[in-house]
Amino acid sequence: MSEKVNLNVNGLEIESDPNKLLIEACEDSGIHIPRFCWHKRLDPVGMCRMCLVEVETPRGKMLVPSCTTEVSDEMVVDTESDVVKKAQEGVLEFLLINHPLDCPICDKAGECPLQDQTMAYGPGESRFVEEKRHFEKPINISEIILLDRERCILCARCTRFSDEISGDPLIEFIQRGNKTEVNTFPNEPFKSYFSGNTVQICPVGALTSTSYRFKARPWDLKSIRSTCNGCPTGCSIELNSSQNKMLRILGVDNDAVNQGWMCDKGRYNFEYLNSDSRLKTPLKMTDNELVEIEIQDVYSELAEFIKDRQTKVNFLLGSNLTNEDYVAFREFSNTISKSERSFYLNDDLLYKGFFGENIELAKIDDLNSSDAIVVWAEDLKEKLPVLYLRIRQAVKNGVKLVVFGHTNETLSDIADVFYGKDMVSENFEILKDLSKMKEINNLVAGKNITAILGKSTPYQSDESVTKLFEFLNSNANSKVLNAYSKGNTYGAFQTLENLKGLNDFVNDISKDNTDLLFIVGADPIGRSVYSNQIKSIIKSIDTVVTLDNFNHETSELSDYVVPISSTLGEKEGTFTNIEFRTSRIDKLVPSPGQTLSDWEFITSLMNFAGLTVETNSLEDLNRKAYENLDSSLSPVFDNLDKPSNLDGMINIFNPKIAASENKLNKTMFFTGEKLYGDSATERHSDSISMLGSKKFIEVSESVAEKYNLTSGSCILAQDELEVTVSYEVNNSFPNDLVYIPTNRRELNKFDFSREIMIIPSQVKEALNVN
Amino acid sequence: MSWDDKLLKQAKKIIKLYPQKRSALGPLLHLAQSKDGYISDDSISVISDLVGITEVQVKSVSTFYSMYKQEPTGKYLLSVCKSISCEINNSSEVINKVQEFTGLNNNETDEDELFTFEAVECIGACGGAPAVQVNYETVEGVTPENAINMCKWLKETKPDVVVADEMQENFGGVKSFDWAIQDNSGSTSTAPGFQTLNTTKVKK
Ligand code: SF4
Ligand code: SF4
Ligand code: FES
Ligand code: FES
Repeated sequence: MSEKVNLNVNGLEIESDPNKLLIEACEDSGIHIPRFCWHKRLDPVGMCRMCLVEVETPRGKMLVPSCTTEVSDEMVVDTESDVVKKAQEGVLEFLLINHPLDCPICDKAGECPLQDQTMAYGPGESRFVEEKRHFEKPINISEIILLDRERCILCARCTRFSDEISGDPLIEFIQRGNKTEVNTFPNEPFKSYFSGNTVQICPVGALTSTSYRFKARPWDLKSIRSTCNGCPTGCSIELNSSQNKMLRILGVDNDAVNQGWMCDKGRYNFEYLNSDSRLKTPLKMTDNELVEIEIQDVYSELAEFIKDRQTKVNFLLGSNLTNEDYVAFREFSNTISKSERSFYLNDDLLYKGFFGENIELAKIDDLNSSDAIVVWAEDLKEKLPVLYLRIRQAVKNGVKLVVFGHTNETLSDIADVFYGKDMVSENFEILKDLSKMKEINNLVAGKNITAILGKSTPYQSDESVTKLFEFLNSNANSKVLNAYSKGNTYGAFQTLENLKGLNDFVNDISKDNTDLLFIVGADPIGRSVYSNQIKSIIKSIDTVVTLDNFNHETSELSDYVVPISSTLGEKEGTFTNIEFRTSRIDKLVPSPGQTLSDWEFITSLMNFAGLTVETNSLEDLNRKAYENLDSSLSPVFDNLDKPSNLDGMINIFNPKIAASENKLNKTMFFTGEKLYGDSATERHSDSISMLGSKKFIEVSESVAEKYNLTSGSCILAQDELEVTVSYEVNNSFPNDLVYIPTNRRELNKFDFSREIMIIPSQVKEALNVN
Repeated sequence: MSWDDKLLKQAKKIIKLYPQKRSALGPLLHLAQSKDGYISDDSISVISDLVGITEVQVKSVSTFYSMYKQEPTGKYLLSVCKSISCEINNSSEVINKVQEFTGLNNNETDEDELFTFEAVECIGACGGAPAVQVNYETVEGVTPENAINMCKWLKETKPDVVVADEMQENFGGVKSFDWAIQDNSGSTSTAPGFQTLNTTKVKK
């Protein structure tokens, strides 16, 4: 570590790392300098001049912007002199010249840096008598983001974010001088998975979201810190509610994880909490119809089954449970039967992964300190969005990037080496001998590597990924980040044993070994590629109990449906992210009707059935979850609530995954999931529901030619099933490859091990006429 | 793509002159200006593909600089300087006369798409004030009468190339200084005449 430098600020001696910006060094020492454009996670631009301070120079004192000036030893700074005050007043007077008097109707009012800094540093009056500039009031720059250009103070935070951080610069300054505005290119909206971040960092109310606009005043908001359970990145978040309604989610700057950012799905997929369609009362299948039933009756009827020691019980668990919920199911299972059992996770892609004695697991922060990152996994931008941002950041800091196709094309833009169709076959096998490939050897041999590995699609062989892993392991000093992509998968890893995915569920489960099946927070029929098989299994099983927030295709075939509270905002517990960092999930709003947490339901059921219950409270479950860990290191509530642990606690763990190799037939179609889909929660979140509704496929050039696709849409057909989809030609696909996103309903209903016909829509029309 | 092969070839030649593609943005915008007389959204899309930045990033640059026109221009872009040296030397009368002759307000183009008129800030010819540019070819020491004569000449002969030296001789007056080099090449469009852009020609 290099030497510190010493500065004198306002007569106080402060110490700082060299190369720090003055504004940051002051902040670290508790001296606040007002600012609009500077943001700790963005490159400085010196746009707004709000941060001017006086610095002594050989030519006397000079006003300099502290956000673009680096500290130096023996620097003498004044942040409060009369000259500085005058400058601040001047800057604010200028900024307010064109700023409308919108505060009474502005979402930002009450938490607005422009309001606050005008109050603290402003001149108190304006000399401007001319007319302010006018723009059409908010314009939609995307389906979810609005821009009010009159309110914009041209700080370039939003444009820098989209350029530097998310890499989709679809907004920019247009025109110059007094006419400057932020805008998009005509007919090219600000379509970004990260656009909500710009709303959060805009220092005025210029950028707003359709979901929060006019919903609340900041001073009415209740807030609590929690963790997003949308994917295993586990972003730190703040939940905001008013009058017991969840209204907004903000990113919290957790340096090791999300650094303040979130993806838009994590940010906006919450409106379903307030939906009228939420399940509020238990239901029972009676004469082919789900009818309301008292929860007491559910308990006593199920208790009868459970008391009968002959009843064979199995569990299919979703990935959005808290660790405590998982433990509750584990305890339940241990109590009813001592024999070893498997837990099935609602995941098509669960495979063995890379764990064990000789494998070093990576942390997210290792990305920044590696020499190179090697990625072969599902599309990280779609599945682990903020991890994708962290990769971008590492690359920006000079880390090399090697990407394998056919799912991570978005990263190929910034990759040093991209191995596309020449290197990876349509079956997702690496075609060439890696040890003979010069580029990758130059980048990895003997270097520190973080390998982000996972299966890209269910039919890909486990072995193909293992090959890459072994190559890296023997040639480089590599750490692995296993890229499982569903919610709290790592929490399940930490708390459950013998984990299997849906592939094994389909092979293992039948009415012979299961009388009672619990399906918790999962709609495999609506989402899995094994939809049809799962459907027949569920139909054959005597008693199926579904616990979820909404009715869906799976619950509609169940015998009992129990409404449960959402892990987002309605539950307390813990969550474990991709690097085994466990942090708090917290509760801010009550859950509707008779909903319960999963653990509450299971615990009551156990009591009803007269079983011994050792874990009667959330705290018991929380302790039980980590009983094998050293108590000072374990993420029990008491430890997590310490201020130093708010960002979570890492306990690397070797999970017991019992998933067996997938034996799917390979066809032309490879399945995956997009960030947005049409799951029950997304359908009931009005602001984003349209984003995942489009049905489409991506086809290689050869497929487009072969099937004569010209009109932009086509029909997929198999047996009785016909779905009209639009298609996009993806030039980086090898011949004869079609991508199909299965988190758009209907598209998962095909049998992917058999041929699916592609019919151009004009042909279909012609047929219909005859 | 709305650019023909010849133009695309030209564009690729220009891009090759720079270490990074995006550095060619400025010249490519001039090229677009020479093609259409303004920067069309179509051209922006083409350029965005060529240099690998987004369309709005191209738009941001093209709307920042006033030499990239956002509206179509006529065959001749008449830019009369209105800054201080020229103003002192009677440029407002030059402006009046040109406006009278063409019937145009600032930044307007006539129906025949012959003239676009603009009053501009200093064009760096203060020593020869008042100065006028026709398609960025500078003429110095232009009296109100000569400004009219020049407009008439443009209207009647409609030259395909306008050459600074030639116009200076016929319609100019006092010059900043003598360049001492004869240059009989000039501009062929409302973009400045640059050899690399192929927007210049020698007048025979
Ligand atoms: S919209 Fe907001 S963030 Fe973007 S430049 Fe304007 S004030 Fe800054
Ligand atoms: S990246 Fe994952 S954890 Fe982060 S906000 Fe999005 S869904 Fe939530
Ligand atoms: S914060 Fe320094 S110029 Fe804006
Ligand atoms: S003031 Fe007219 S050219 Fe400089």
